[in-house]
Amino acid sequence: MAEAQTFETDFWKDANLRKVWDDIVPGEPRKTIPYTLTKEAIELYCKSVGEDHPIYFDEAYATTTRYGGLIAPPSIHILLMFSCTPADDWMRSPGTVNAGQSWSYNIPARPNDVITLQARALDKFIKRERLFVVHDNVFFNQRGEVICSGRGWTIRPM
Amino acid sequence: MTATFDNLSAGDVIDGPKLAVSRESIRLFCDASLDYNPLHLDDDYMKGSFGKTNFGGIIMHGMNNFGLISRMLTDWAYPAGAIHRRLETRWVKPVRPGDTIQPSGIIKAKQTSEKSRWVLIDVVVKNQAGEKVATGEALVEFPRDLFCQ
Repeated sequence: MAEAQTFETDFWKDANLRKVWDDIVPGEPRKTIPYTLTKEAIELYCKSVGEDHPIYFDEAYATTTRYGGLIAPPSIHILLMFSCTPADDWMRSPGTVNAGQSWSYNIPARPNDVITLQARALDKFIKRERLFVVHDNVFFNQRGEVICSGRGWTIRPM
Repeated sequence: MTATFDNLSAGDVIDGPKLAVSRESIRLFCDASLDYNPLHLDDDYMKGSFGKTNFGGIIMHGMNNFGLISRMLTDWAYPAGAIHRRLETRWVKPVRPGDTIQPSGIIKAKQTSEKSRWVLIDVVVKNQAGEKVATGEALVEFPRDLFCQ
């Protein structure tokens, strides 16, 4: 879990390096980094939302299913959103509020997958005095297969 | 009874798991999701006003809601050999430590495409007061080559 150990948990650190709403350019790709999804990271995520299905934990059971082995739950993209972006990514600006999300799942992520992300801001607008950004994300595994794709709406801090 | 595409009807209800939200559960989700936004951790920060969103105290991650809904859908779909294919959500009201939330789904429609079968589900998450904290819509696929587990 080398990535997790080096993950910057202080979202105030380098806050001045992150783009504010005015700097964000719709269509411009975000910087992303590959991330190796570990069994341990999946298990911790499962614990945080109470996932207890054996397909995430029990290798012997998982081999009997359509997936032929352990998988991560679909919503593992929640972890991947942060693990695949660097510390100066604007999604880490303190005060960023999540307004909504839309995700499509294609194939499951699995332990030891090397996940890459293609992401960009898609739109920004002002509504009821709030600064919104729409972001667009596609996650791939090491074979170039799309795991999932999604779009989110965040309210940016003033 | 395990759901099958044929025995589902509009109006059928799916009950999701309850989650008692605490500072500890919020912190655990920070560690699991790597989302350490002070919105979820720092009471002092949350006393401030920013971006017209002042919640007066820390709030649970919206995506914790999302994960809970997703868990409800997979727990319902897996035994039927079905696949959770889509989830769209909108956050309606903040969730705070001390709240207990629970997602539920209502089958809205069934649709058959040329190669597969789909179920559209309205989703809502409510708190202990019965207030909606999130709403959404999900799509579950029942492949024709069902492989039940």
